[in-house]
Amino acid sequence: MPVQGIRTVATAQNGVGAFILQCKRLDFHYCDWAGSSRGMNAFLKHALPAFAKENPQIEIRISPRPHKHPIIKGHYINGREKAVCVRNLEPEQITQKANLLKQASGEKLKRTKKPVTSINDSVRGIWSPYHGGLKTI
Amino acid sequence: MKRLQLQRWSSSALSSRARTDGRLQRQLCSSKRFQSTDATPVQPASEQLAEQQSFPSTTIRRPVRVSKYKLPSPPVQAAHESAKLAALHARLYLPSRLPLETLARCLINPSADRNPQFNNSSFSVLGHDLLTNYATEHLICTYPRLPLSVVFATLYAYVGPKTLAAMAREWGVEHAALPGGEVDPGLLQYKRVDPGTDLSTEPLVGTTRPNEDQKHWRKSINSSVVYDNEFGDPDLAGVPPSELQPEQAQNTKPVTMEQASADFVRSVMGAIYLHAGRAAAKRFFEQHILSRHLDISSLFNFSEPTRDLVRLCARENYEPPVAKIISETGRRSRTPVFVVGIFSGKDKLGEGAGASLPEARARAAVAALKGWYLYSPVEVRVPSTMEEEGAAPWKPVYVDLGEVVS
Amino acid sequence: MATFITVSRRPIMGMPFGIPFLLPSYEPVSLESRRNQSSYRRTKQRLRIKPDASFGLSSDKSHSHIVYNPPSSSPSVYHTPTKFLPANDARRSLRADNYANAPAVEELPSVFKSEAEKKYHLTPSDVTEIRKLRLNDPMTWSRGKLAKRFDCSPLFIAQVCQTSPQKKEIQKQVLEAVQSRWGAKRRMAREDRKLRKESWGRDE
Repeated sequence: MPVQGIRTVATAQNGVGAFILQCKRLDFHYCDWAGSSRGMNAFLKHALPAFAKENPQIEIRISPRPHKHPIIKGHYINGREKAVCVRNLEPEQITQKANLLKQASGEKLKRTKKPVTSINDSVRGIWSPYHGGLKTI
Repeated sequence: MKRLQLQRWSSSALSSRARTDGRLQRQLCSSKRFQSTDATPVQPASEQLAEQQSFPSTTIRRPVRVSKYKLPSPPVQAAHESAKLAALHARLYLPSRLPLETLARCLINPSADRNPQFNNSSFSVLGHDLLTNYATEHLICTYPRLPLSVVFATLYAYVGPKTLAAMAREWGVEHAALPGGEVDPGLLQYKRVDPGTDLSTEPLVGTTRPNEDQKHWRKSINSSVVYDNEFGDPDLAGVPPSELQPEQAQNTKPVTMEQASADFVRSVMGAIYLHAGRAAAKRFFEQHILSRHLDISSLFNFSEPTRDLVRLCARENYEPPVAKIISETGRRSRTPVFVVGIFSGKDKLGEGAGASLPEARARAAVAALKGWYLYSPVEVRVPSTMEEEGAAPWKPVYVDLGEVVS
Repeated sequence: MATFITVSRRPIMGMPFGIPFLLPSYEPVSLESRRNQSSYRRTKQRLRIKPDASFGLSSDKSHSHIVYNPPSSSPSVYHTPTKFLPANDARRSLRADNYANAPAVEELPSVFKSEAEKKYHLTPSDVTEIRKLRLNDPMTWSRGKLAKRFDCSPLFIAQVCQTSPQKKEIQKQVLEAVQSRWGAKRRMAREDRKLRKESWGRDE
């Protein structure tokens, strides 16, 4: 057989064609009694319907967590989760935190050192000392 | 490749009750469904399912109210109560014409519910044909000279089961531990293979290839076009279900996670085609499949590159290829580098670098052959663009002689 | 700019030997532990050379011309060689003048030391003779001996005839006997060599 094919899997590039929001679920936990949940309870009553309507891609779960501080927990497609404690925060601040979790990719935070990271080959190829305009000495 | 008859498909795959929202609701109210003949009427729950039973084996047709715990898959009404399902619908930006009920049906594998009215088998057959059709036409028009084995490998990389399963994972589809009527319809439902099962030991029965039991016979790549599936694998889909053994039809076979996820992605494609039309299906294919990154030049595996190149030049009436050293360094050292070019007449066909002259020559021949096989016309147009409104007249695409045979 | 910096630096470098003792931050350091002369800035400065002459605008032409600057990298395989393009492809005419200054093929050295010229001197009767000899006495008439006698390559002998199965069996046993004496190192080296050779075809 002159040439054989090698089987691989095409790698995904989220956002190149379709974009899939990486946050798939947000859990809101509150407490009915504790004062640190006052902002959270107001958020759940007034701001959450609008937030849910804006982001239909996210499944939203609300559950009580008695005698604990209120938290928001984001579940991501890569299997990780992120939790933010929102004790004593105002509803507007909680909206900010929810947006933060929504926009996160779920990856661990890491420092990016290069302005561009790409899996595509560079247009001019990898530099080689044996090519290009060679100068004769 | 295989021909598609989409019009006929679409009418049979989509049952009459799933076509529009209004009719769906009306049918649901009027008709009844029961899964087994001996189903006893238990506590009438609020989510009772009412659907027509269409199994030929059933003889008794009397309205029976079945608890959702007895159903093999979630009832149709539950689709509107699932947050997961709505989130998945929105996450994929599916067209609004595709109802949630259909998406819920796409998530039910035939191994969970073997009633073809409620599982995704018809959608996935249609979606598989659409995916391979679009991928094949894109591939053959873009790279008309690709050898068949590489075409198979490329199709596998774009629409193969591994890729589709990876797509389902990247879409955030979750799996149900066990299928059942009470399960959230937003979860992928299938009967799992028992852990520790060796899948490779099963005998290969039911392929379309004659003398399939002969393991040691040579299998030519051209016979794969006729007998094998789109990826050059044995084609198991050729057997009609009527020929299956009766006990096989009673006990559904468990499937792997990869198969179930791939079937789900295929059935989403089929459902989009049926509900939102051809243009939406093609857009979905371009956005989700063609946007994936694949370097086709890394899929080649040559065993005799220099010999193939000589055959190619003889076939195309070029001067015989000659290997020449373009530059070199450290010939008598431990780490030499030779850059060898392969020339035919005055034209350079390819070049390669290596630590020895034979290596550099072989790599140069590989580069020259890839240069031949990876030719792509300047303007690429696929046949399915003719289906659009006001399309320009079709100009024949570049067709190549075929691969180099030695 | 560059000269200014070097000039302004000079007094510090050439500081009289008496003064550093007076500075509060002075620490007597040995010559070995002192920081190297080359810094990022200095290296960058030395690399700042004039652009190549071919980049500039030539005097005889007007200013509307394209600078052809081929990348200093091995060519991509997606770049189809001009010879492989179909006759009606637009890229043929576009590339016509880009390769005017490519090195002449005749001047480049060949990969092989000497090209064996092909003679085509054997007749069909010679071929039957070869076959007869090889079949009748395979132990004496090996490929090398036949090639020497008929003045052709051993490859040609292999193309023309096959040896008897008995000879093949004997040869296989000889090979096994030789290989059984190999140690772990040699065996592994041979296997690695084979794997490396296979990787050439995958272009790894």
